[in-house]
Amino acid sequence: MGRAILEDTQWLFLIYFIGINVGYLSLNLIATFSLRRHVHTADQYESEMAYSNLELPISVVAPAFNESLSIISSVKALLQLEYPEYELIIVNDGSTDDTLEKMVHEFRLRLFPEAYRDLIETQPVRGVYRSSRYPNLRVIDKENGGCKADAVNAGVNACRYPLVCVVDADSILQADSLRRVVRPFLEDPRTIATGGTVRIANGCTVRRGFLEKIGLPKNFLARVQVIEYLRAFLFGRMGWSPINALLIVSGAFGVFRKDALIEVGGFDPNAIGEDMELIVRMHRYMIAQRRDYRIAFVPDPVCWTDAPESLRDLKSQRVRWQHGLGQALFLNRSLMFHPRGGTVSWLAVPFYLLFELLGPILEALGYVVIIVAGIMGWIAPDTALLFLALALTLGILLSSSAVMLEELSFHMYPRTRDVLLLYAVAILENFGYRQLTVWWRLQGLVRWLSGRKHKWETLTRSQSLTE
Amino acid sequence: MQPGSDLLATIALWVTVVAGITTLLLFAGTMLLRYATNRHERRRRSVIGTWRSTFAAALLSAAAARDCELPRIARWVRPYLLEEWNRVRSLVDGESAANLAALAERLGLEDYARQRLHRHQLHARLLAIQTLGYLGCSAEWDYLHDELLGHANTALSATAALALIQIDPGRGIAEVMPEVIQRADWPRAAVHRILRAAGPALITQPLCHAVVTGDAGTAVRMLRFAELAQTERIDQLVEIVLREREEPVVLAAALRASRNQAGVPRLAQLAGHADWYVRVQAAKLLGRVGGDRDLAVLEQLLADGEWWVRYRAAQSIVQLPFMGPNSLRRLKERQRDRYAADMMQQAMAEVGLA
Repeated sequence: MGRAILEDTQWLFLIYFIGINVGYLSLNLIATFSLRRHVHTADQYESEMAYSNLELPISVVAPAFNESLSIISSVKALLQLEYPEYELIIVNDGSTDDTLEKMVHEFRLRLFPEAYRDLIETQPVRGVYRSSRYPNLRVIDKENGGCKADAVNAGVNACRYPLVCVVDADSILQADSLRRVVRPFLEDPRTIATGGTVRIANGCTVRRGFLEKIGLPKNFLARVQVIEYLRAFLFGRMGWSPINALLIVSGAFGVFRKDALIEVGGFDPNAIGEDMELIVRMHRYMIAQRRDYRIAFVPDPVCWTDAPESLRDLKSQRVRWQHGLGQALFLNRSLMFHPRGGTVSWLAVPFYLLFELLGPILEALGYVVIIVAGIMGWIAPDTALLFLALALTLGILLSSSAVMLEELSFHMYPRTRDVLLLYAVAILENFGYRQLTVWWRLQGLVRWLSGRKHKWETLTRSQSLTE
Repeated sequence: MQPGSDLLATIALWVTVVAGITTLLLFAGTMLLRYATNRHERRRRSVIGTWRSTFAAALLSAAAARDCELPRIARWVRPYLLEEWNRVRSLVDGESAANLAALAERLGLEDYARQRLHRHQLHARLLAIQTLGYLGCSAEWDYLHDELLGHANTALSATAALALIQIDPGRGIAEVMPEVIQRADWPRAAVHRILRAAGPALITQPLCHAVVTGDAGTAVRMLRFAELAQTERIDQLVEIVLREREEPVVLAAALRASRNQAGVPRLAQLAGHADWYVRVQAAKLLGRVGGDRDLAVLEQLLADGEWWVRYRAAQSIVQLPFMGPNSLRRLKERQRDRYAADMMQQAMAEVGLA
């Protein structure tokens, strides 16, 4: 009977397997061409922008909750961004530590009689502060909303400029990140949102809020995440962007046209993955309104973030991501196969549903079936090993192509040793780590399906981010 | 094993082998790329180091550009030299630019750029077009005009347009301006550079014509560059647009482009326009050019339903030259509308008058 089931299901696995790998390899190809074009026109763009001063002014919004230890250096770094005109809005989301007091003292903040607008509903704002040292710095003090989305929305309400850049207060930005990420808005007025590449900061040296030296982390889990981020950004997002089917702009660094952000209702405070949910909703809204729009991705590394280095933190993150993915797709399910939805509705959403959301089920099932069938003698042991080898080799191939793309474009890791190390990690991650993440993603899926609320957990910071 | 399983196993085997070989090739490719990148960097640094003093001397003196001793130019040096020459050239103008052109002639950069113009790589072609534009090379006029100006690639076409203007502004503007008007894909910065290179005398007429006769999108796009045209004609243009066009986006763009209230007799009327973004621009303009008669209009806008209109009106009131601190406080106190009073308080606080 087992043999019969195996024979019936093997073609299902094969089709799934071909589908996911053809999908990723196609994204890879699109990304390769787009990346080359981007890199080759970057110089031209740089020289054109150097003296033009045509950049659109930007409001940078950074929510902070109990960031007492790092808030001063983070804000100082954000105040040093290279951009002609921007304002910085820090949202103190009801911190219970002395985050606000530290900012008041360091930046000489004074309560300011701002005519605050409630364009997007949020928890009550207790006060708006303005710095007497930095005219472009304001701090919104509000009651805790229990999530980042509520804090960002309060910041958006206070924005003055046409573009809003949402950043994590604890992320490290490249000094020229705003100039790079604003490029799609200047090149195409239909652009409503852009995101840049987020990289792993663990292992890098940080000084005065900026990266001083780029290196690989010592921790194995963080190293694997370097590869994962390269895969996710360099060919995941770079592959979807040219066909206007990008479904996520990272919450750590994203720029939005403010009127579009407000029109769709801002970030959803009930969403677990508020960054993805917003982008999927933007697609849904714009398509429903028959608007011509673009959501673009800039491959330049603009933001560096702290990756979890312990299994507990990593698990929590991955469970949350999978939960958020399910929720974002479900909340915007009318986008699926929408007659006017184009590549988003007919390619990206089905791909995410089938391979990203439901993928862990089939992947886990695949491992179990091969192992059980091998043990039970339903297939020859060498055939079972062959199928496992196939899965692993394709995994290694995808990771290797991400490293290749990195080398082809930005080659941020200067030492040859780092590249060799990345290849080693690309191989090693397939033995244990990948299976572990499949298991966590399954848990995230179950959590979403069971409707359980997500508990926010405090992540332990890696040492590499302290200066 | 059943035949189906055999087939499956065979497919699996072959896919594994192909994937394995591809991975190895990728690894080898990455290593080669790393080697090439490192070599490229080394060479670039070496060329910059060797040629720095020559470029510096040429920038300062025409005689040096003509007569200075040149380091030997190996074949591999030329692409780096071309890149560095363009970088330096983009930083200077006037006499230094002429000196650099003389140096380029001695280095044979024009011929080299003409060769690279027909290359496949985008980067090489862009750099070649840029060089030919800087050098005013009319020998490639036809190719730039016929093949590149209307090219689908945004970077190629926009760079070619700039080069045509740099080579012969008078002849170029007639060819380039229709593209400037049509090509919505050209970045604002690129169009700005093209129009600035052509100069106000050449661009004013076609720009005004496009604004008056083009559709709303064209008019708005061209009005963004009005600052580059002749100032006196812009006042007339704004007046015509505000008189003859009705589209709110065009009206708002015209108000944004205006520098002088003399050209805006409809300003008070536009301050009551149904679309808020027209009222915002009216409020801003009143702040720049308004007189004491306009205070009543601004006070009315202070109680507008739209936050931005109130904000700009308050900012405009605060910056009116005849409004001292006491007048502002009195104005704030006489506001019956709470939102108007709040906004005045904010605008005053912004300039330290709270």
